[in-house]
Amino acid sequence: MARRSHLVVAVALLALVGAAAARAETPWSAIGRPATPAEVKAWDIDVRADFKGLPPGRGSVAQGQALWETKCAACHGIFGESNEVFTPLVGGTTKDDIARGRVASLTATGVPHRTTLMKASKVSALWDYIHRAMPWQAPKSLTADEVYAATAYLLSLADVVPPDFTLSDSNIAEVQQRLPNRNGKVFEPNLWNVRGKGDVKNTACMSQCPVQGKLTSTFPDTEWGGNGNLAEQNRMFGPVRGHAPTTLK
Amino acid sequence: MASDCDHGAPGRIALAPEGPLGAAQLAAARTARRRFMGSALAIGAGATATGSHAAEGDAAILNLPEHTRGLGQGVATTGYGAPSRHEKNLQRRESPGLTRVPQASVSFCPLQSLFGIITPNGLHFERHHQGWWDIDPAQHRLMVNGLVKQPRVFTMDDLMRLPSVSRIHFIECGANTGIEWNNVALPSVQYTHGMLSCCEYTGVALSTLLEMCGADVKGQRHVLAEGADGSSMTRTIPMKNALDDVIVAWGMNGEMLRPENGYPLRLVVPGVQGVSWVKYLRRIEVGDQPWFTKDEELHYIDLMPDGMHRQFTSIQECKSVITTPSGGQRLLEKGYHNVTGLAWSGRGKVRRVDVSVDAGRTWRTARIEGPVLTKALTRFNIDWVWNGSPAILQSRAIDETGYVQPKIDQLRAVRGSRSIYHNNAIQSWRVAESGTVYNVQAV
Repeated sequence: MARRSHLVVAVALLALVGAAAARAETPWSAIGRPATPAEVKAWDIDVRADFKGLPPGRGSVAQGQALWETKCAACHGIFGESNEVFTPLVGGTTKDDIARGRVASLTATGVPHRTTLMKASKVSALWDYIHRAMPWQAPKSLTADEVYAATAYLLSLADVVPPDFTLSDSNIAEVQQRLPNRNGKVFEPNLWNVRGKGDVKNTACMSQCPVQGKLTSTFPDTEWGGNGNLAEQNRMFGPVRGHAPTTLK
Repeated sequence: MASDCDHGAPGRIALAPEGPLGAAQLAAARTARRRFMGSALAIGAGATATGSHAAEGDAAILNLPEHTRGLGQGVATTGYGAPSRHEKNLQRRESPGLTRVPQASVSFCPLQSLFGIITPNGLHFERHHQGWWDIDPAQHRLMVNGLVKQPRVFTMDDLMRLPSVSRIHFIECGANTGIEWNNVALPSVQYTHGMLSCCEYTGVALSTLLEMCGADVKGQRHVLAEGADGSSMTRTIPMKNALDDVIVAWGMNGEMLRPENGYPLRLVVPGVQGVSWVKYLRRIEVGDQPWFTKDEELHYIDLMPDGMHRQFTSIQECKSVITTPSGGQRLLEKGYHNVTGLAWSGRGKVRRVDVSVDAGRTWRTARIEGPVLTKALTRFNIDWVWNGSPAILQSRAIDETGYVQPKIDQLRAVRGSRSIYHNNAIQSWRVAESGTVYNVQAV
């Protein structure tokens, strides 16, 4: 019996050694070092759509307007309407859109721009982006409260929140339910999964293929100079040359 | 003997450049004219006696040039070599008016003059979201956190000690060819398709790092990649890709990444649009749902005709383009031309490329020049004898899944014309009688 129990112990020990090996102890597993909690806190700034990562804080539309005028308006305009540096942030949304969660002007072909608030379906993305990347020349310089304030002001410009509103971590989920385009996105798994099937089909016809034989669009001779002199954008020897424009724009 | 005319200089069409020219072009035109005169005289059997050798042959042969008669330069004249001074026309270029801030802009790769499948590092296309930096690698860190047993930090010293892989992959911006959904807008392949490059990347497999940190990879899992620059670009990466072929890369065509391409560390996500190849990579986070970041919410979303935006459209589907002859080029002669181009697929290898010279009525299968690699540019060539009549050239790629590159009207029928992103349509180039090649859309 004694010998038998020794054997059992030995087998158990061997099994433990085997389990350790299976836990992927590679010769390089000690390279690198554990991150400290302070380091993770310093860099893990992302705010997810379910607001995981959103720091507590608050900021009013009025505070946001004051901040906006000094730090945002130069690029985006006082009302987020400017098209001078970037595409406008505000415009193209209605009260009906807020009720429906779909922006009607996205189906209109005559609308020149798609503004940020026409497209946004997650308020978390606005907060996260302002926090991580704004202002343009001094990203990550805003406090959490300032980000709440700037976000509140931006949303007020499209009547998503009233002028006397104070945005905070406790009411941002309610604001999400008023975003004009909150129901305007669809996940297309075929274009996310590498093994998905394409949504547009062609066939590999080789002869007598059905074509209308029409040119629906031709690069106009008047536009040759629009991207510079193509003669100077091609090698000066070989089988071809660049086309020299008749009029340089 | 009449056929001789087609091969000699007199058979060349429309060599004289038009309109105002730059200094470099004028100089080149003068050189070309001298060469033209030289050959014409040679063929004309010395009709005019401008040089004693004219009747005997090509002055470039008969008059030994300085480089044949003199002493050349020594080794290491330039410690890091540069292209020939005769190659200055090949530059990555901005498209005027496309963007208004150079720090949030794009420069296009000159595909029209490149060979093979590898993009030279200095000509790799650029896309910056908030300006580029040349980061000190000694100060750069990569953190892995989130759903991991142990969040870890790696220095470049650490990362470069790890088992590495080197793989060739294409990178294409999701917005490549994006301005041409409605109609042609740009003159040349540099601007229509030049947000495309292909390099050999060296780095550590992301799966290796995830394993080292004890990442929880079971169930619904996603990875967030984040950059260290001002924009701190964030993109959600599918865990399936992360465990398959994603690389945390420092090497690019045998040297370190260029600063414009993310030095010292970037993510390589084969087959996926370039925005997910986060530059200046500082952090990888494991989570249980997608993040819906700014560049998943406001950009890189595809507007459909019903007003809905498709989100998380990531795969660069099978596509090809003829790079020579291509828009804004001019054929110099009738007769034989080697039509050449590039094909690629975000879902795997290119299986076949067909080429049409009659706007898609008939197709011939092109020669694929090796290597044929998964999610990499693939070079194709096909013989064409141009009879001088207008012709419309197209290429059509088929990948290993059997997917056939679509026509522009087929894309529009499903996706409309306002989606901006993921235009992988068959490209049409019209060769006019003059030899000038026009960007056109043919249906």
